[in-house]
Amino acid sequence: MTVLAVSSVSKLFPGVRALDQASFDLQAGSIHALLGENGAGKSTLIKILTGVYTPEAGTLMVDGQTRKFATPRDALLAGISAVHQERNLISYFSAAENIMLESLPNARGMINFKQMHEQAAHWLESLNVGIDPRTPVSKLSVAQMQLVEIAKALAQQAHILLLDEPTASLTPHETTHLFELLRQLRDNGTALVFVSHKLEEVFELCDRVTVLRDGKNACQSQPLAELDRQQLVKLMIGREEQIPERPDTGRHSNDNPDSPALDVRNVDTLSGHRDISFSLKKGEILGLYGLVGSGRSEFAKALIGLDTITRGEIRLDSIPATIKDVRTALAQYRMGYVSEDRKSEGLILEHSITSNIAITIWDDLKNSLRLLGNRRETAAAQPHAQRLQVRTPSLQQQVGNLSGGNQQKVSVAKWLAARASVLIIDEPTVGIDINTKNYLHELIWQLASEGTAILLISSDMPEMTLLADRILIMNDFKLTGEVANTRDYESVSQAIMSTIHQQDTTLEQH
Amino acid sequence: MTSHTTTPTEASRFRPFAFLTSNITGLVLLIALLATFYSMYATGFTSKFNLYTMGRVMAIDIVIGFAMMVVLVTGGLNLAVGAIGVAAAMFGGWAMESLGLHWGFGALLALAFGGVLGAINGLATVKTGVHSFVITLATMSVYFGAMIVLTEAEAFRALPKDFTVIGKTRYYGFVSALLPIALATGAILLVLFRYTALGRKIKAAGANPRAAELSGIAVGNTVVFCHCLSGVLAALAGLMLTARNGAALPSMAGHVGQDWLLPSFLAPVLGGTLLTGGTLSVVGTALGAILVSVITTGLLLMKFADFWLNLFLGLILLAAVLLDRVRSVYAARRQQMQVD
Repeated sequence: MTVLAVSSVSKLFPGVRALDQASFDLQAGSIHALLGENGAGKSTLIKILTGVYTPEAGTLMVDGQTRKFATPRDALLAGISAVHQERNLISYFSAAENIMLESLPNARGMINFKQMHEQAAHWLESLNVGIDPRTPVSKLSVAQMQLVEIAKALAQQAHILLLDEPTASLTPHETTHLFELLRQLRDNGTALVFVSHKLEEVFELCDRVTVLRDGKNACQSQPLAELDRQQLVKLMIGREEQIPERPDTGRHSNDNPDSPALDVRNVDTLSGHRDISFSLKKGEILGLYGLVGSGRSEFAKALIGLDTITRGEIRLDSIPATIKDVRTALAQYRMGYVSEDRKSEGLILEHSITSNIAITIWDDLKNSLRLLGNRRETAAAQPHAQRLQVRTPSLQQQVGNLSGGNQQKVSVAKWLAARASVLIIDEPTVGIDINTKNYLHELIWQLASEGTAILLISSDMPEMTLLADRILIMNDFKLTGEVANTRDYESVSQAIMSTIHQQDTTLEQH
Repeated sequence: MTSHTTTPTEASRFRPFAFLTSNITGLVLLIALLATFYSMYATGFTSKFNLYTMGRVMAIDIVIGFAMMVVLVTGGLNLAVGAIGVAAAMFGGWAMESLGLHWGFGALLALAFGGVLGAINGLATVKTGVHSFVITLATMSVYFGAMIVLTEAEAFRALPKDFTVIGKTRYYGFVSALLPIALATGAILLVLFRYTALGRKIKAAGANPRAAELSGIAVGNTVVFCHCLSGVLAALAGLMLTARNGAALPSMAGHVGQDWLLPSFLAPVLGGTLLTGGTLSVVGTALGAILVSVITTGLLLMKFADFWLNLFLGLILLAAVLLDRVRSVYAARRQQMQVD
């Protein structure tokens, strides 16, 4: 049964046709993949379906009736809910309050808390998740928040659920759980739209697929069984995918095995890391894998001086280092950190590309009068923007105006400008299209082969096995194992998961 | 990634409300329009004496606007601008009159004193993490109260002639000597924010403190510096006002310095400095202050009472803030559709 039919929807923005006669139809009890590169129009389409944008042309039919959504509320009332990439929960409310927010049980204006908790518990139980409805959302993990959002959608009687990159910040384990849940919802008759950049997941989960390219349908509601990965990629990018071959180098030839670029010895931190020891050689890519909340990014931040190190020693180029802030990390030890959160930690969206790249080297750019004009800044930033192929009409363009992939390039470029010799790269390709992703992977190899020591944090297992030389496993703020990367996805991912799992069982025994 | 990589270009080319994002032209036009209107309908507007007195008001308003602007860029604000200005001017008056110091030395001490009071605001903001609104609301009363207690609300009226003459000097019969001081201050600020690494760091820290911190910028230091600079500028405005009055009066900026509050916000906000931090316009702030002083002078000449002025200025501030809001919504929308 067709629950949602989108026909020939177009959306214009000044100077650009974001959607151009896009169509697809959604069946009850099925999971429909919506794919496309960044900028292909997926987000625009989702915003139209959820009533955020009004289309210029085309029709939406929900349950056989033509609908026009003027506000997001109209879409909710028609039974369409969306779980967005960004969490949309009120963090200081409880899970129950968030779930029931649209229809709080009340009598004469007073909220009936008992009833609210019961109803919320019912929805959470139907998802088979053990979250106490009284828990404040701020105490939940990212994965749990997402489940609360799904529960909220169910509480709103949604029978059409849009999921925008739901696995972007989930671990494989959490992803598996989410997928079980989505299948269960599908079997109960809910229609799901699944947006993801991870094709493995699409093939695992979805029945049919619609691909958008430049706002147009590259394919429309096609059964996924008819397509293979190559064909799907071709539909998305309009040509064959080129899987990058890692230039084999023998670059980590251990020419100087006794002097690692970064040596961490028995380090404890204030945020709770215990006895962390590892060393990272020049030109090596060391992976740091762990579940969300295992303390990976926190440790990276402790290294660059954003957290206090309470015990142990850090040596850079064999010299014991005391790093009290990012400035010291950068100026004295040439250590940089590419944040996982480029929008709030990596970039200054309102400022120009040149400023965002040169920000790490402003002090070095002063002329003899200690002045620094736009021309000098641009001259310094340009080679890096060029090397990274940042696509923009002008380097004075605000970074906020760039696509996600180009933004990520800028947030890496500033560390190239800073000539970082140790670079911590945190989730470099989350939410980034295939082309840019491949490009960034090549760049990371290149940097390593030029001698940069790279600590790579990633939850993307294929990415990890593609890039890293060795993989450290972090669990609960401790290092619990190391896996040598043979580049064989199956065996490496199994080794990683069993290391984590083994830890789980030992934890349970305590 | 073919046609969509060009999205930013196409979208930035199409900007029907571009005049909102660059309001320098708008301000100049508005000032010219008002000046023309007043020269026709407000008797005496174009007289040499009126131009001279208007210039004196203008110069002080410009510096007051700068004092607020340099804190707005950090994403904070400084309600104590008036209190610092008066306290520092009284300090300078005391140094010149009671200590008998050379007026130049007294003025320097006053500027330094303003800087110290501002730095205290900055340090308190950074160390406690409390918004500067609360900190400066408190210090506004503390500074002003302490000044009244220490001076026993007595004015310093016997200031060195060499100092007070600055307030009375006019070039060509209609240009106040205070104007070049304000413009020179503007030039220094322009260089600071456009041509120095420090100025860039301040803007980066104001726009996104977290990202700036992670790029190796000492965000706390930039905030303290800006508050300190704000104190120095407030002190400068206080000294200019003292020179104009010929005396340092505890009441010259109203109770707790409140008379400066409205002009201090009006000038930067009219000039396009965003209240969210990270963006500022030195020229815009100066033009904003010029606009305000032209409006008030004209209204006074047309015999509108003081409370009318307040009403008008309040309305203008509201309109300017709404415009600021429209601007940021518009900017956000452009950004939004290009991310899609």
